[in-house]
Amino acid sequence: MDTILARGPSVPKTIMTVDDSPSMRMLLRVALSDLGYSVVEAEDGVHALETLDGMTPDLLITDINMPRMDGFGLIEKVRSQGQRSLPILVLTTESSDEKKQRARDAGATGWIVKPFHPDKLAAAIRRVLH
Amino acid sequence: MTALAIRDGLRRVTVAQGETRVSDETDVVLTTVLGSCVAACFYDPVARVGGINHYLLAQGSASDTASMQRYGVYAMEVLINAMLAMGASRHRLKARIFGGASMRAGFRDIGGTNIAFARTFLRQERIPLVGEDVAGTGARRVEFRPALGLARCRTVTDAAPPVVIRTVAPPASTGDVEFF
Repeated sequence: MDTILARGPSVPKTIMTVDDSPSMRMLLRVALSDLGYSVVEAEDGVHALETLDGMTPDLLITDINMPRMDGFGLIEKVRSQGQRSLPILVLTTESSDEKKQRARDAGATGWIVKPFHPDKLAAAIRRVLH
Repeated sequence: MTALAIRDGLRRVTVAQGETRVSDETDVVLTTVLGSCVAACFYDPVARVGGINHYLLAQGSASDTASMQRYGVYAMEVLINAMLAMGASRHRLKARIFGGASMRAGFRDIGGTNIAFARTFLRQERIPLVGEDVAGTGARRVEFRPALGLARCRTVTDAAPPVVIRTVAPPASTGDVEFF
């Protein structure tokens, strides 16, 4: 007897973007929505932690240079609060090895240099989500 | 290459297309010559830090709207981040914009595109636009004293506008992804 696996309706994966620039958040919102993802936004690390208190995204994409709590602080907090498996991609204008190492040590999954290229961003997301 | 000249006891730093310069030193003058390009001058009156960029969005590889916006936001973010690193605060920033002339009749209004981007960006970021000298048909020379927030813009007839050679210069690794 053949087995048919029933599939429910496809639920879009949720990506949280964290960036203090409304313009950058808008660019990401458009790009990620076009790729079929659901987007939740936060404007800095503190706001992101508050939002994460009530939901768990499938992926977190964060800037580094932000007021109140920067990207490094956010990644460290997320990891220390037990979110070990949540993929975290850093998206930043920074490109120094020292800052990459700091992100790696904090628990980031990957590093993307701004301005992002839509195809490269899509490939990176697919790699960590699928 | 950035040029440095000392005159009247002031250090004049020439900012080329695609460059960003930030300073909190009172004897520094950041200067640039603009045609269709736009320069954004940002200033934090409390930290007494200022900076300028010089961008062109509407030529070269960044020819579609989405690409232009990504490069434009990048150009602004580089400037803002450099100022934040020197003690400025995003919510105190004030902006002036210059340039965006239509240098050649019959061509697409590249200057207008650059001006429109700057205005939209500042509105989205809630950064007050406190002054501008934009559009028209003439080249401009901008002199900005970053630690004082003073900007002077003159139409220049003795200097040709800069030759357009490239768009905003992102790092060579633009968009590159590295997994840890």
